[in-house]
Amino acid sequence: MNEIVYEVFARKDRGGPLTHIGYIDAFDDETAKVYAWKTYDEEKWFEMCVVQRDAVIPVTDGEGLFAQLKRAHS
Amino acid sequence: MSAELDLATLDDEGRAALERLILTLADSKRMMGIRYSDWLLGAPSLETGISASSMAQDEWGHARLLYAMLKDLGKDPVPVEHDRDASEYASIEALDEEMPDWAALVAAMVLADGAITAMLRSFADGNFSAAISRVPKMLAEEEFHSSLGAAWYRRLASTEGEARDLLSGATKAMLPALLAWVGADDAPMARVVSAGVIGAAEDRLAAFRGDVRELLSLVDVDVDSVAASNAWDEVRGRTSGHPAEEAVARARGDLNRALLVE
Repeated sequence: MNEIVYEVFARKDRGGPLTHIGYIDAFDDETAKVYAWKTYDEEKWFEMCVVQRDAVIPVTDGEGLFAQLKRAHS
Repeated sequence: MSAELDLATLDDEGRAALERLILTLADSKRMMGIRYSDWLLGAPSLETGISASSMAQDEWGHARLLYAMLKDLGKDPVPVEHDRDASEYASIEALDEEMPDWAALVAAMVLADGAITAMLRSFADGNFSAAISRVPKMLAEEEFHSSLGAAWYRRLASTEGEARDLLSGATKAMLPALLAWVGADDAPMARVVSAGVIGAAEDRLAAFRGDVRELLSLVDVDVDSVAASNAWDEVRGRTSGHPAEEAVARARGDLNRALLVE
């Protein structure tokens, strides 16, 4: 039962930008939701979502975080 | 929902019964928070430790709101929170002692926290105005506890060996006293049921069993065939025994008593 890395995104206000705020390790989507909500609770988020890191497809190459992670794990 | 309860219509026995119900819920929340706090360090991962910390805060917040309901009955909640002996606590038996391992905490998440939530759902559906207004937010926060507990329960139940055995053992140890608590139908509970404050024992039990039936079947426990404990303490509205002195000292805030500000 390996842990899965989930990226965490959130926005403070309706219409505000969806921002990448961090990541968590979890063993499934359900625990990922709880861990994300409980870990990144410094704000009263309007919206929060999690995405499995493996599902993120970098559009740009180069020095972007996700492009680097993709290269490191490919 | 029926009209909200007019507390002036309750006689002394009715008021005492409502006070007992509030206390057992509040004390159970307070001790649930203590048990989550025991795992701030030593949980299986950073994320679970942070979640335990957050859930402890949730529980203590809920406990504070429940103790505050005593004001509606003319009782000062401050000495109730800070001056009682362990033998006076009405918290559920499953939380009396520190959980010996993570599997036991997972069982407590599902069963003890789940039993408190089942009782609170019924309390919120009754006619006591403080419960109607304050409990729904608690129940919303409890959805995260329930999700985490269920996910971990499934995870440990799916393993072979020690983790599953520990989970099964903790489940079997906790269940009889919890069934007695959720299904309590002694004279004080009958008073609050007849007043419309909370649902009938059989309805509360059916709801709780329905919540946990599928999960418990994963460790071959049939919740419908487990007998409730009969070691009932009618004064406190829980089964016999009391929480550990050390835990109650933490709940009361004994170490920082000189700094107590209320």
